[in-house]
Amino acid sequence: MLGRIRSVFRALTRRRDFEEGMTDELRFHMEELTDDLVRAGAPREEAARRARMELGSLENVKGDCREARGLHWFDELLRELRYAARLLRKTPGLTVTALLTLAVCLGANLTIFAVIDTVLLRPLPFPEPGRLVTVFNTYPKAGVERDGSSLTNYYERRGHIPAFASVAIYRYGKAIIGEAGSTEREQIARVSADFFATVGAGPAMGRAFTEQETTFQTDGVAILTDAYWRTRFNADPHAIGRQIRVDGLPKTVIGVLPAGFRFLSSEASLYFPLASRPEDRTPLQRHSGGNTIQMIARLKPGATLAQAQSQIDTQNANLEVDDPQAKMMADAGFRSIVTPLHADHVAAVRPTLLLLQAGALILLLIGAVNLANLLLIRASGRGKELAVRQALGANRWHVAGEAVVETSLLTLAGGLLGLAVGACGIRLLGGMAAGRLPLGSHVTLDARSALAALAASLALGVVLAAPIVWFNLRRHLGHALQSVSRGGTSGRAAQILRHSFVVSQIALAFMLLAGAGLLGLSLKRAMGVSPGFRYDHILTGQVSLPYKNYPDGAGRVAFVETAMARIGRLPGVLSAGVISNVPLSGNSGKSAAAVKGRIPRPGESPRGHYSYWVGGDYFGALGLSLRAGRFLTAADSRKAERVCVVDEDFARYYWPDSSPLGQRVFFGSEQGSDAEAFTVVGVAGSVKQAGLTDDTAQGAVYYPYNFRDDGDIFLVVRTGLPPEALGLTLQKAVRQIDPDLPVTDLRSMETRIADSLATRRSPALLAGLFSGIALLLTAIGSYGVLSYAVAQRRREIGVRMALGARPQQIRSQFFSLAMRLLAGGTALGVIGAWLAGRAMQTVLFHVPALNLAILAAAAGVMGVVSVAACLWPSHRAARISPMEALAEE
Amino acid sequence: MDKTADLLPGTLDMLILKAVSLKPLHGYGVLLRIRQISRDALEIPQGSLYPALYRLEHQDLIAAEWGVSENNRRAKFYTLTPAGRRRLRAETAGWNRLASAIAAALNTTSEEV
Repeated sequence: MLGRIRSVFRALTRRRDFEEGMTDELRFHMEELTDDLVRAGAPREEAARRARMELGSLENVKGDCREARGLHWFDELLRELRYAARLLRKTPGLTVTALLTLAVCLGANLTIFAVIDTVLLRPLPFPEPGRLVTVFNTYPKAGVERDGSSLTNYYERRGHIPAFASVAIYRYGKAIIGEAGSTEREQIARVSADFFATVGAGPAMGRAFTEQETTFQTDGVAILTDAYWRTRFNADPHAIGRQIRVDGLPKTVIGVLPAGFRFLSSEASLYFPLASRPEDRTPLQRHSGGNTIQMIARLKPGATLAQAQSQIDTQNANLEVDDPQAKMMADAGFRSIVTPLHADHVAAVRPTLLLLQAGALILLLIGAVNLANLLLIRASGRGKELAVRQALGANRWHVAGEAVVETSLLTLAGGLLGLAVGACGIRLLGGMAAGRLPLGSHVTLDARSALAALAASLALGVVLAAPIVWFNLRRHLGHALQSVSRGGTSGRAAQILRHSFVVSQIALAFMLLAGAGLLGLSLKRAMGVSPGFRYDHILTGQVSLPYKNYPDGAGRVAFVETAMARIGRLPGVLSAGVISNVPLSGNSGKSAAAVKGRIPRPGESPRGHYSYWVGGDYFGALGLSLRAGRFLTAADSRKAERVCVVDEDFARYYWPDSSPLGQRVFFGSEQGSDAEAFTVVGVAGSVKQAGLTDDTAQGAVYYPYNFRDDGDIFLVVRTGLPPEALGLTLQKAVRQIDPDLPVTDLRSMETRIADSLATRRSPALLAGLFSGIALLLTAIGSYGVLSYAVAQRRREIGVRMALGARPQQIRSQFFSLAMRLLAGGTALGVIGAWLAGRAMQTVLFHVPALNLAILAAAAGVMGVVSVAACLWPSHRAARISPMEALAEE
Repeated sequence: MDKTADLLPGTLDMLILKAVSLKPLHGYGVLLRIRQISRDALEIPQGSLYPALYRLEHQDLIAAEWGVSENNRRAKFYTLTPAGRRRLRAETAGWNRLASAIAAALNTTSEEV
């Protein structure tokens, strides 16, 4: 077999050698034969003549020889390709329409597929990524779906879950790197010693962390990513052992990660040990995950997810036996879930991406139907020519092959254009927040997808040829020859096929339009949700006070006081405050709060609430509304007196019938002594913390900043100027207090809100774009079919007009045909839209699957487009001159 | 009656293989050799010879190489490949079985039935 392929290949690549060799060989034969005949006594001329006769036609022999080599297939294909290219050139309008349709439809699919491939399909870049899982705690009945894992969880599970080959934890964070005066804030990750072994990729240079290095005081080591090593260490081969300053503390570089190492979507450029004290690992801390520490594990070969889950469940049950919190955790529905790492990481975007791919496929379907219809119309136009050829003996296979070659040439060319459109689309998508998708930062068009796309376009070519072949072959020759010459009606079946194509096209476009409408409406409703505060003219930025320079609360409060005073004096600043976590920051971790004297109702579980620590004039700066009592002021952070403000969701939940003012609240799930209680002094309006579309009334408590044990704060500034204009001034003001403190994540509140909606906006925009293209394609399709119908019945119209039909009647006849097609398509489209709406429920916000307004709007748009597409052909039909129409043949 | 016999379908390939198995030959040589070894009984249709040679070469049963003929002309010489040798052996055995079976059948007299 291989030999044969080689032989064909050799003959093809050295075609001229093959032809010349064959000619030489045959000439040699003739000469030898002639010589022999002369030797036998024939005159030379007579001998040459007889030699030619014996061998037969040279061209026939050569043809047979080529066929023996399998070359005739290629010759045939080449001939067909030339013929097809000539035909396509002869109808430039159709060819260009077809190419553009294919380019856009295939390009759209390729773009979306590239994203799906990168995010959903491509395995994580680690060895045996299928064995990587994540484990997280969940307390669904307390409103906490996801709480990460605690240090205690990690130390208790390590080595005790037989299904796990290894377990590791990590925590993302930020750190200030560098010497005083030239510091930069970098994204970092703190990881346990076995983290790199668990993911299966460790430092390319140096070593990984050891167990000792995960204890405080002995954790002065760092591992760099390749990119950081190249940019900040100039790829120094002796980087190992060098010192860097991290949050003011010296750390020794002990390793450099391989190029391209990236854990999930992490932007971390440095890795540090996740160090802790023994008291952080006690059973009391078991449920203090707070969604900052995450756990990953590698399954043992052969171990299943179900085994791991049941082992975790068993261990949890055993550990909680003597835990005083056990009852409360059980009430909260506590469980630790084991789930595949990759799927879990991309779970949130999966439905949206699949939806967009479905939209793109529908678009492709509309495009393909359009092409099928246009090509079918052209095939009908060439019916007579083909009939004549068949009558003269053209073989049926040949006729079929011709159609396949022609459509494949068209779709392949369209596919190549589609690759270009796809490449542009991917760049465009990069600007539309694709980079912020999990794993989405490297969406590229790889050779695999490109090849698959070309193969798909070739397959599409074959599919498109099917109706044409069917149409060409099923037709009775004699009838075809006559029907055209008589100018009568075309085959009934072909007409039905054409019309059903248009109907399905309208239905699909309607479906896409309605789907885009649902997404758009959902976005509009999400945008219409009030975040709970006046979000215009607010600038926010993050500052992390490093532990070394700000070891205690007094120092941090002093910084906040100075910063507030300084920022408050800046020109254009109306009010300023600080908070531990700004709304829509992306962090929606919750913690428990206990209410003094409250006895849980039977079956009631403790709830997670948003806990904020505020300083300065936070409430004024954010523009929160006051429902009762007073807000916390800067003065509250200076006093030892414990006061707090709760939001109205919190107040409604705990004191539905009484005033919350004067009530006592404890931070954490335990009711402590009176000295630890915070007295409620005010009730504020609720704020959307997790996102505008988060409907859960979680409840929130605001504590004074001086009771906070953490240096991460957000500055919130209300200004009369455009907020972004204040960014540099704000940074400078902070640097004046502490030159080592950068302000990061500087964004206006409006930008934060817009960014939080990016995952809704981009799909809505794309769906809108898709349906726009679909409308255009449908218009082209309807126009093409109706124009054809008019052209076909030109003679008939001529006769009728000669007999007295008015142009108005002719026009309305074609118009009503168009309207019937529209009505059929819309009816089917409504069913499709309903199905699509149901499939989209998970990504819709406050929009039902079947929204009448959207259906009406979609029908309206569809109607306008269809009418517009039909006006010109109907008009032309009405203007046919009987004399000309009848004189033509 | 004509002393040449028509070729049975499928036998041309076998004869070509046999001819080139004796000695490397060019196309015209194959024609002459078959005529010679069949004692002029078999006449090859010359138009079919070359397609058959090309087909056998394509199937890797014979190999071709350019050389110089006995009267100093450039000619393409064919030799048998190992695969061709195996094929020739198989075809010869098959042919002999068939021929003896047919001969036996045709020689049957009425007494033997």
